[in-house]
Amino acid sequence: MTAASLGHEPHHDDGLALYREVADIRLLGFVLFLISDCILFSSFIFAYLYMRNAAPVWPPTGVGLPDANLAAVNSIVLFGSGATMHFAMENWKHGTEVKFRRWMVATIILGALFLFGQGYEYTHINATWWGSTFGAAFFTLTGMHGFHVFCGIVFLIILLNQTLAGVYNKKQYFGLVAGTLYWHFVDVIWVFLFFLFYVW
Amino acid sequence: MTEHTLAYVLRTIAIIGAIVVGVVAIYQVRNDWKTPGLDIQVSKLLLALMAFGCVIVILSSWGIIGWQTKGY
Amino acid sequence: MAVAAPQHSALAEHVHHAPKSFINRYIFTLDHKIIGLQYMITGSLFFIISGLLAELIRVQLMNSDGRFLSPEHFNELYSVHGSSMVWLVIIPLATGGFGNFVMPLMIGARDVAFPWLNALSFWMFPPAGLILFSSFLVGAPDAGWTEYPPVSLQGPPGTSMWCVAIFLIGISSTLTGINFLVTMLKMRAPGMTFTRMPLFVWAQLATAVLNMVATTALAAALLALFLERTFGIPFYDPSHGGSPVMWQHMFWFYSHPAVYIMILPAFGVISEVLPTFARKPIFGYKMIAFSSIAIALLGFMVWAHHMFTSGMTPWLVLPFMILTFIIAIPTGIKIFSWVATLWGGNIRYSSAMLFAMGFIATFTFGGVTGIFLAAVPADFQEHGTYFVVAHIHYVLFGGSVLGLLSGAYYWYPKMTGRLLNEFWGHVHFWVTFVAFNVTFLPMHWIGLLGMPRRVPVYDPQFTDWNRVASIGSFFLVLGMAIFFINVIWSIKHGKKAGPNPWNARTLEWMTSSPPPYYNFVKVPGVLHAPYEFDQPLPYVGLEPAENVVSGYKAPMPAGSH
Repeated sequence: MTAASLGHEPHHDDGLALYREVADIRLLGFVLFLISDCILFSSFIFAYLYMRNAAPVWPPTGVGLPDANLAAVNSIVLFGSGATMHFAMENWKHGTEVKFRRWMVATIILGALFLFGQGYEYTHINATWWGSTFGAAFFTLTGMHGFHVFCGIVFLIILLNQTLAGVYNKKQYFGLVAGTLYWHFVDVIWVFLFFLFYVW
Repeated sequence: MTEHTLAYVLRTIAIIGAIVVGVVAIYQVRNDWKTPGLDIQVSKLLLALMAFGCVIVILSSWGIIGWQTKGY
Repeated sequence: MAVAAPQHSALAEHVHHAPKSFINRYIFTLDHKIIGLQYMITGSLFFIISGLLAELIRVQLMNSDGRFLSPEHFNELYSVHGSSMVWLVIIPLATGGFGNFVMPLMIGARDVAFPWLNALSFWMFPPAGLILFSSFLVGAPDAGWTEYPPVSLQGPPGTSMWCVAIFLIGISSTLTGINFLVTMLKMRAPGMTFTRMPLFVWAQLATAVLNMVATTALAAALLALFLERTFGIPFYDPSHGGSPVMWQHMFWFYSHPAVYIMILPAFGVISEVLPTFARKPIFGYKMIAFSSIAIALLGFMVWAHHMFTSGMTPWLVLPFMILTFIIAIPTGIKIFSWVATLWGGNIRYSSAMLFAMGFIATFTFGGVTGIFLAAVPADFQEHGTYFVVAHIHYVLFGGSVLGLLSGAYYWYPKMTGRLLNEFWGHVHFWVTFVAFNVTFLPMHWIGLLGMPRRVPVYDPQFTDWNRVASIGSFFLVLGMAIFFINVIWSIKHGKKAGPNPWNARTLEWMTSSPPPYYNFVKVPGVLHAPYEFDQPLPYVGLEPAENVVSGYKAPMPAGSH
């Protein structure tokens, strides 16, 4: 590359070029945020593995491990919301806004259903948060996850509102991209939690 | 409905749902296999992991893995 | 060929109008330069407070049976001193202070990637300090800056405040790490490939990765401690099935990378100061750059060398010992490169250069004692003694603080438009360097002789050297007082600096002092790394710095929108 090629050429569609650059920067920032969030969950998962390994007997006496059947259905509800979110995005990219809205609403409803399922689980499991190391790990991890799901639902509702207000268009929709990634991320964390608490 | 029947129903729903969602996820990953862009790459990774999660749900609900193998 | 920087950036042409009100310009500013100064002022204030806490400790330790402080107060003092120095002084100054001010200028950017997030990160910093220091009112944390359970589970309410304060500054750090990483990856000037980046930027790059990844691990450990103290959730209490060793793993998994967060920016400063004042290219540019990354990566793999005596799974000591030895290699490569940079150079003994050279001496010494600590059998003797205290102060004061002071003398003219007084800078250096060694050198042998750390009274055989150390520490205070007076006096009365008083070659010196609010009239193109002193400047399209107006008075650059 020569010195001559490093000039500043005037641009005519500066609005879009600027948006693309800013969206690119924000995407990287958002992905890095998700990575740091991963570390948060990983640290508590480490704690769970450590405590489980160190315990003389597992589950600790007096603790009833949770039932996988309802959790399996709840997992499918959450994964299903990931699929509906994906369909929503596809429709947005193709410009079919009505369908986009329907799939978004479906995602939000499924997400809320997941939280209700968690609530049922919390009230019917034979363990307390403070009563055992199992409870400490289970309720802290699933609680943190549930909090992330709740924030995700709020995020999606805000995004839906923004699309109704015309904030995004077919070429400029970084907020929707961020929301989708966040929702998939929350999904994948649950894969690990389901495996660690209900299968292994 | 007895507890056993309820468990059976729940597991069946879980398995069918997991197959549907898993197939959708894999289908999308295949569709976007060559598409560039950081957001698409991250989406592909997360959808693939989600499909893996569906596999875990199927195996667990069918009683093949997990300590809750009360038989299907 | 290294990764190419974008050829043209719409973002670089996009200049906002300057904010109008005093509050938007200087209080809730989004300008990375002012935010950097805010960090530096706040960090310096916490440094003074924390240093005075240490002086109280040294007064107590002048006598082997001193009654200046109660044992409870003594425990609180060293706990808050350590915590504040790590989290409220060095990390914020090194990253939020110097990183914020210098790094975007050095890469030719107009600001960081997320200016609003940058401001948010700063504004979490004073509250965190307030929370930590006000814990003295209710019983400050008293189990050391490491707060091991079960002692920390039984601690006064201040321990919970400590959890909250450090959690808050941790969020600030993580956001700063993300912000800086995106800035350095996406907003470099056209032509600035990775191998044309200044070494201070390489250092901040490695630091940002550490900041971003490691800090959330600390957040988890703190959250668990807080939950256990407040709600009895069993994580660490062995009587409920928890494990104190688990705390140590979780704590040190962050806190070891944290020490690299504290030292890497100082390494970066040295790599800039030495070539400038020796008028010689930096020796081994690529080796220094890659060793910064190597240190960051290896830094995640050595944490349990703090736990050799903890009773953890015994065979773990071996891999951690070996990895700790290995991490000395990239550090040693840097030290050799710096010495080779000086060799045969035309050295100007400015204050910045003195501190840089002092850094090489004291940090190397501290690094060597680190090797002694890495050897497991030796560590069994040295752990928990003043040998460790000596080591950490040689690398953290003799390393980080001397390095950041060098940076202060170097970049003060860029920040304020005036030079610090060189005579008093020399006095500051010699008083500090001598007093530092008088304070901390004896701690090596009293540690080996068996004086434990964190004790308010000690065996009388250690009295003489403790007195020497205490007297040395009083002169350290004198030195720092000279520095702060110099800083404040020179704002109004220092010699005017101009854009490039040191005749340096990195981009921050190619604009006015202080820079205009948008940093550069035109973002330049970059052709080479900035260290070849006999070559013309490797930039294209720069507005001559003499023509550039400073601060918010600068007019909007032509052609921007």
